[in-house]
Amino acid sequence: MTKLALTINGRGYGPMDVRDDLTMNDFLREFLGMTGTKFGCGAAQCLSCVVIVDLPDGTSHTNPTCVVSAASFHGKKIRTIEGHAEDGQLTVLQKAFIEHFAFQCGYCTPGFLNEGQVLLERLARTPVARADLETTIAEALDGHLCRCTGYVKYHEAMRDVILANSRRFLKDG
Amino acid sequence: MRPKWRRPALISALLLVNVAAAGAPGAAEWATGSNTLASPESFSAMTDINKRSAAYFTELSKVLTNPRCTNCHPAGDRPRQGDTTRLHQPPVFRGKDGFGLESMRCPICHESANFDPGGMPGHAEWHLAPREMAWEGKTGSQICAQIKDPKRNGNRSPRDLIDHIGKDTLVGWAWAPGSGRKPAPGTQKEAGALVEAWVNSGAACP
Repeated sequence: MTKLALTINGRGYGPMDVRDDLTMNDFLREFLGMTGTKFGCGAAQCLSCVVIVDLPDGTSHTNPTCVVSAASFHGKKIRTIEGHAEDGQLTVLQKAFIEHFAFQCGYCTPGFLNEGQVLLERLARTPVARADLETTIAEALDGHLCRCTGYVKYHEAMRDVILANSRRFLKDG
Repeated sequence: MRPKWRRPALISALLLVNVAAAGAPGAAEWATGSNTLASPESFSAMTDINKRSAAYFTELSKVLTNPRCTNCHPAGDRPRQGDTTRLHQPPVFRGKDGFGLESMRCPICHESANFDPGGMPGHAEWHLAPREMAWEGKTGSQICAQIKDPKRNGNRSPRDLIDHIGKDTLVGWAWAPGSGRKPAPGTQKEAGALVEAWVNSGAACP
């Protein structure tokens, strides 16, 4: 057993004792009932299980949860898909995904939304040139697998959000 | 009426199928015939010191060419996985320092120790060996020349290699790779003994 204390969507959890062999995915879904984070492949290949980890330096990255222990998240601040909307208000990215019909079954969508959110925050800190936008989006979403859609509408939704706020996200916006 | 040749041909075919079904050994076993490491003492009958030295390294090559090692000593910028040495999935890349790109650092998934419930190997320093230390696709002779070259071995002396291979804990992971993975041949202590014998006998290459 290991002590676990962390912050999820701005709320503190723990300290609590968790089994050493408990995956973070099981902790979220089974222990806390936060089923927005999905279990897809169980091998960190589909990335439907990622959450956002917020680092002390103000940067963030996504982190698979299916192959890593819950204990490894001790002391960390994370955001799950449940933490995106506030008081029922969807984020700009969530709205764009809906408007573009970017998802169908929705199983991969939390992963795409988390990754997309990390990308938007990164671009806000370090804008890119407009000429590099397509590659930047493609690289950010690379690895997220979707069986339904063919990925195009996810990419288009991301692009439209960025272009709609080009002064914020692009060097030459 | 059946042709007379059918029964012997059928028996031969069945024998071949049974042999194939027994399973082909992994690459290291097939090349060297064993998952163990011979001790330095077992080469004592070789009186030519250069040949004995080269023989030590040939035996050590069973470790250095094993997938547990070559998967993270790749020729390119992507690690490999498994005994089939397939490209690592998800697609990850070396990055500037061998610890991955900024968006997908190795420690994001690879914890400080193996996490068997997730099938995830781990070590606190999990990362790729530098490009100049690529072993993938190389013969034992080529690796030998490379491992002796300070420009391609992290500026290590032959003596440094004894500790590196015999005691480094990341190297040692190869013999405790977690469930579902076949360890490198022998033990780290045995590999270290071979390196020491090789160095002490002049570090000749096969």
